[in-house]
Amino acid sequence: MASFLSSLKRLRRELDALTLTQLVIVIVILSVFLLLPIFSILFKAFIYEGHFSLTYFWQTFTDPEMIKIPPEWKWIEWTQRYMFYTFPNGTRILIPINTIAIGIDGPDFGYIFNSLYVSLLVMLFASVLGLVAAFIMARYTFPGKNVVRVLLFIPLLATPFVNAYVIGKVFGEGGLLNYFLTEVLRIPFTVVLSGLPAVILIQTLSFFPIVYMNVHSSILNIDPSMEEQAENLGAHGFKLFRSVTFPLSLPGLAAGATLVFVFSMEDLSAPIGLSGAFGDGLHNKLMSFYVFTQFKQAYSLDQVHPSAYVISVLMLTIAAVAFLIIKKYVSLKQYAMLSKGGRWNPRLRRPAILGIIAIILFTIPLVVISSFPQVGVVILSISDWASAGPFPSKLVMGYMRALMENPQVVTAIRNSLTYSGLAIIITLFLGTSAAYVVARRDIPGKEIIDTLATIPIVIPGIIVAVGYLIFFGSLFFNTWMDPFINPGFLLIFTYTVRRSPFLTRSVYAGLQQIHVSLEEASFNLGASRAKTFFSIVIPLIAANVIGGAILSFVYMMNEVSTSLILGSHNPAQGPITFLMSQVIYSSGTVGSVSIAAALGVLLMGLQIIAITLSNYILKQRVAFLGV
Amino acid sequence: MVEVKLENVVKRFGEVVAVDHVTLKINHGEFFSFLGPSGCGKTTTLRVIAGLEFVDEGKIFFDDADVTSLPPYKRNTGMVFQNYALWPHMSVFDNVAYGLKIRKMRKEEIEKRVKEVLELVKLTGMEKRYPTQLSGGQQQRVALARALVVRPKVLLLDEPLSNLDAKLRVEMREEIKRIQKKLGITAIYVTHDQEEAMVISDRIAVLNQGKVMQIGTPEELYKKPANLFVATFLGRYTLLYGIAKELSPDSKVLVETPDFKIRGIITSPDIKISPGERIVAVVRPHAFKVSRSGEEVNLLEGVVDWISYLGPYYEARLRIGKTDILVSVEPSAKVKVGDILKVFVNEEDVLVFPLTALSESSYIEELRIVE
Repeated sequence: MASFLSSLKRLRRELDALTLTQLVIVIVILSVFLLLPIFSILFKAFIYEGHFSLTYFWQTFTDPEMIKIPPEWKWIEWTQRYMFYTFPNGTRILIPINTIAIGIDGPDFGYIFNSLYVSLLVMLFASVLGLVAAFIMARYTFPGKNVVRVLLFIPLLATPFVNAYVIGKVFGEGGLLNYFLTEVLRIPFTVVLSGLPAVILIQTLSFFPIVYMNVHSSILNIDPSMEEQAENLGAHGFKLFRSVTFPLSLPGLAAGATLVFVFSMEDLSAPIGLSGAFGDGLHNKLMSFYVFTQFKQAYSLDQVHPSAYVISVLMLTIAAVAFLIIKKYVSLKQYAMLSKGGRWNPRLRRPAILGIIAIILFTIPLVVISSFPQVGVVILSISDWASAGPFPSKLVMGYMRALMENPQVVTAIRNSLTYSGLAIIITLFLGTSAAYVVARRDIPGKEIIDTLATIPIVIPGIIVAVGYLIFFGSLFFNTWMDPFINPGFLLIFTYTVRRSPFLTRSVYAGLQQIHVSLEEASFNLGASRAKTFFSIVIPLIAANVIGGAILSFVYMMNEVSTSLILGSHNPAQGPITFLMSQVIYSSGTVGSVSIAAALGVLLMGLQIIAITLSNYILKQRVAFLGV
Repeated sequence: MVEVKLENVVKRFGEVVAVDHVTLKINHGEFFSFLGPSGCGKTTTLRVIAGLEFVDEGKIFFDDADVTSLPPYKRNTGMVFQNYALWPHMSVFDNVAYGLKIRKMRKEEIEKRVKEVLELVKLTGMEKRYPTQLSGGQQQRVALARALVVRPKVLLLDEPLSNLDAKLRVEMREEIKRIQKKLGITAIYVTHDQEEAMVISDRIAVLNQGKVMQIGTPEELYKKPANLFVATFLGRYTLLYGIAKELSPDSKVLVETPDFKIRGIITSPDIKISPGERIVAVVRPHAFKVSRSGEEVNLLEGVVDWISYLGPYYEARLRIGKTDILVSVEPSAKVKVGDILKVFVNEEDVLVFPLTALSESSYIEELRIVE
């Protein structure tokens, strides 16, 4: 009782005008635009004929389309065709061409297990590639390192759908790879990669830099004296890596791998892009795509199959549990930061010639292959590649011009800019408030605010969109806030909620760098907390606010899942990514893929500017995709 | 100018009691220090006075006004932080003028007061500089000026000199004392440096584990430490283990150690020792004098075992049987290792405490090392 009274007293003292305002901002926005919509999914999934029931779950989990065990296990198909071959002297003979098709018909475990094994494999492959790349980049110098460093960031430039389309263009029947095999190498067989293996390839290529960045910054944060001490005691080479460097970089690996898993699970870009290249197929048989199509087609909630709610709950649970575990784990393992002081000399060494060859044999193919989708997008946008067969045959500037001339495209760009612009204003209030309360105030339950403010990084956008359709669609049925009628307004808030963590984390990092005594000195001189916040705190963390806002903004511009699901209910209000998906998925008109590619180039340009600017402003490379 | 009173102040951080029932009174215009090892609660006590931490129990008064639950910005104290806490985005002028702007003073008045205070801390002409363009000593002066310019009721200094080099530290502590006396302001000073506390303070409270061990003038603390902790915290010393033999009503004791007998005193009436009890005696190196006549009481004779040069004097370790004692020796005595030396010590300088005090003291770790 006494402790309750004293904590009440403490609460009253902590709740000055500023803190109260900040708390209200954070709690209202996060509950109305994150918590309530998400809870309404639970409501839909668990309530059957008016009472709590697991009926829908039972129905879903017993549906062979959802879980198929044993799977349809025919994932390599070997077919033989014949083609005429003309000798230089004019003789024509018929020769066999073998086609190895990987992933066309399987393995198919059903929507749920497909998603899980794809995400697990992507996480595994991305972790291996990212870990090796990070260790090389953090510890070795080699010729061309700076070029590799820049190229490693290219796969992170999001070009939704079009990058997957490019992969299809390379691995398809008449694609670049097979042209190379049959026409250049004269090998009498072709390889076609499609279905889930293609999804795994695309996602691994675009997500491994997330692991790379997190592990890289973890390794750079290791006090060199720890490795020096180990060397002093006789450890070196792999022993040193295994016993000191690797364990100390585990928090980064764990964080990066978790993010990759969740991003892979919620990804819509690969399945939709591959559909553009191959039409419908097994690459669509993923949880994310299932929920997407259910809600895209529905004109009202009645038309949605209940399994879509169940799948949503499942995805949400997996993501949230992964996030909470990893957050706990990473904060427990932050021992790399134990020692302080001094500027660290990076432990860089130049390996012997064999080492350099090994490094180059690993890094060069890695960066060339993984940045190819982005390069392909640029080629698509300025040539006739989309319609020309394995190679582009001529430059076409019309697609880039469409960015300014095509009325549909212009509208989409204007929509994106409007939503993101308004969302960033709300995000400024939300992010600085949440970060300040968590970093500086002693409010009971502030851990909850901390979690709520950062968890949207891993909550699948599909879930947010579904939640909005249910919550706002039923509560504001047939009003201007009904997402089935007027999705644009709500997109502002999905952008805010989904992308504010970038700003929140940036501001939080800034607050940790300014000593609390700078604020106390201000209180001591008679300034209230609000006055101190605006005259001392904000000027000191301005760089973090601006840097974080730029990042948030650019990730709003290329937000995919809520843009697609909400946007599809009123195409006139659709943002850039929605238009891109329309163009790719229903690529009826020849060459229209190239318009999506032009939009992809626009998004890439924005991202490059934003990342350069924020790196310049924050004066450090931030692992902005960390837990 | 104000009188600061703490009544039974308790501050806990979770399980740790940082300030443990502290009661004390700081007089008008007094220069008062909290002295103690790190983690003794001295900074927390200061922050409680500033209102940056709130007490769990007890009350704080500025004169007769109860300020216990006032927020920091309504207390009108002037605090100098250990790291100075100068705002890097503001010039010296803006840093110093901040408190005056908060008080909504007129521009001319602000300029006048900033000019005055910068003169006082000898920083005239530095108004336009930014904190990063100043030396450590100058930053220290800006922090002091910023705290003083609002004419606070009480000046609070949290280890303000700990980031300065040794020479500057001596200079600044005299400077702070000069300014404090000139303004006649009540000042509360936190330090772990006993010499600094001795030089600068009118009175000192020695703190240990959140408790006040003793309050007194520097001389009282040094000469009449109320307990073993204070005796061992201030200055260098030798510990002598023995048994109390004869006790006289005027607090004098005859102590028998395995190697010799020595006469000492009990410093405080609170200390109870009975004959035959095991005791520990604290003797400072300076208390020993080289004997010339050979007639003095407490005469000890031993072999010089080790010697070190400390500038104005030597410190020698004298071996008497199995006991080692630290002795200060004038350079003129020309002592070498291996010499036999006779020293004596006045009985007021042999401070006797019951041995049980050793285990009660948190300083036990350090004591064992010195021993």
